Amino acid sequence: MAGIFDKVKDTLNSYRTPGYFKKLDHKWTMVVDLDMCNGCGACVAGCYAENNLPVVGKEDCGKSRAFSWLRIERYVDGEYPDVKVKFIPVMCQHCMKAPCEIGCPVYATYHNQDGLNVQVYNRCVGTFTCATYCTYDVRRFNWFSYKWPKPLDQQLNPDVTVREMGVMEKCTFCIQRITAAKDKAKDEGRGVKDGEVLPACCQSCPTNALVFGDLQDPESRVAKMVNNPRKYRLLEELNTDPSVIYLKRVMNDGKSEE
Amino acid sequence: MKKLIVYALTGVISLAIGYWVQQQFFSDRAPVQPINFSHKIHAGVNKIPCQYCHIYAERSRVSGVPNVQRCMGCHKIIKTDSPEIQKVTAYWEKKEPIPWTKVHNLPDYVYFPHKRHVRAGVECTNCHGDVPNMDRITKVSSLQMGWCLTCHTQRNVKNGRDCWTCHK
Repeated sequence: MAGIFDKVKDTLNSYRTPGYFKKLDHKWTMVVDLDMCNGCGACVAGCYAENNLPVVGKEDCGKSRAFSWLRIERYVDGEYPDVKVKFIPVMCQHCMKAPCEIGCPVYATYHNQDGLNVQVYNRCVGTFTCATYCTYDVRRFNWFSYKWPKPLDQQLNPDVTVREMGVMEKCTFCIQRITAAKDKAKDEGRGVKDGEVLPACCQSCPTNALVFGDLQDPESRVAKMVNNPRKYRLLEELNTDPSVIYLKRVMNDGKSEE
Repeated sequence: MKKLIVYALTGVISLAIGYWVQQQFFSDRAPVQPINFSHKIHAGVNKIPCQYCHIYAERSRVSGVPNVQRCMGCHKIIKTDSPEIQKVTAYWEKKEPIPWTKVHNLPDYVYFPHKRHVRAGVECTNCHGDVPNMDRITKVSSLQMGWCLTCHTQRNVKNGRDCWTCHK
């Protein structure tokens, strides 16, 4: 009897452990070259437009209800005139060992076959656990059912659900574009080519600082870029194994800085 | 005692009539359309293939409601004296689309590509029922998630049980 219980417990635990898939279909990865990022914020605007994000306004932002899935962190070093400014775009890191997945009581956030950390809006009951557990503070909560004033509701993306009150959400790596690319590839009877999937942030980046691709494909741009010695990941010491890889910025004095 | 039976009978009969009226004229399953269009005549008797009118089914997410021009392509010549066809002609002359009522309506959060299903060899009648014998379109399938998953499991669809395969 005890043996059966242990077996069931082990099976359940193996499902509960993030990254239980033996082999992934894809391993979507984003590489952010901080040397090229100039902090213009085009990626943020692109994300807002693509994913039906509501603009909450100044007052709600003050109550930390800001809604950007992708934010640009600014770090300013030193006093004027000797000032160094650094920008780091931070979006959901799609951790392979994600803390948020362990926390969810209803299993609304999980890892799918593409190596993406995804959120099921219909399942989410809004316990806020995932946002509390998230190391990077990238999860956003719908405090209200946001409305779009009259002409603006025409610009909503039909490929993305408009979320309701009480639902947690976050960057999806523009999963609707991944689906579209896979759909097209299937019609033509081939695999997804490198550069075919282009999330809104990568598309709008004027300096091509953000590069998106499949890490499992050895010919992809991403797979070549991760061998760069400037490579690092955010809060790597916490062992979350993020899928977003940053390339350090090299300053004028030859020192590279995180 | 006799009175009671009469009351009970009246109640049952009126319930039955009410149910029938509701099903026939007010339900979402078989709503009354602006034009009394019969799939039985078109797809059943005359054997017009589904994709002659619903042209986008094979190459798009939606199967597409045919535009009025497609109706008029045949009905400029065929059966022009019928009052129902004259309604179509009126829409055509006003340059207005026919305000059909949608029967198979999926929620906003479902990603359902007709293309994928048609190309995988799923018959139209598999989900839409026996349309060639329907005078007015009736929703046969529940279109619930469990119903989708039954088929996905039976056919062993790749990633067919992953949430983000069908949700968006």
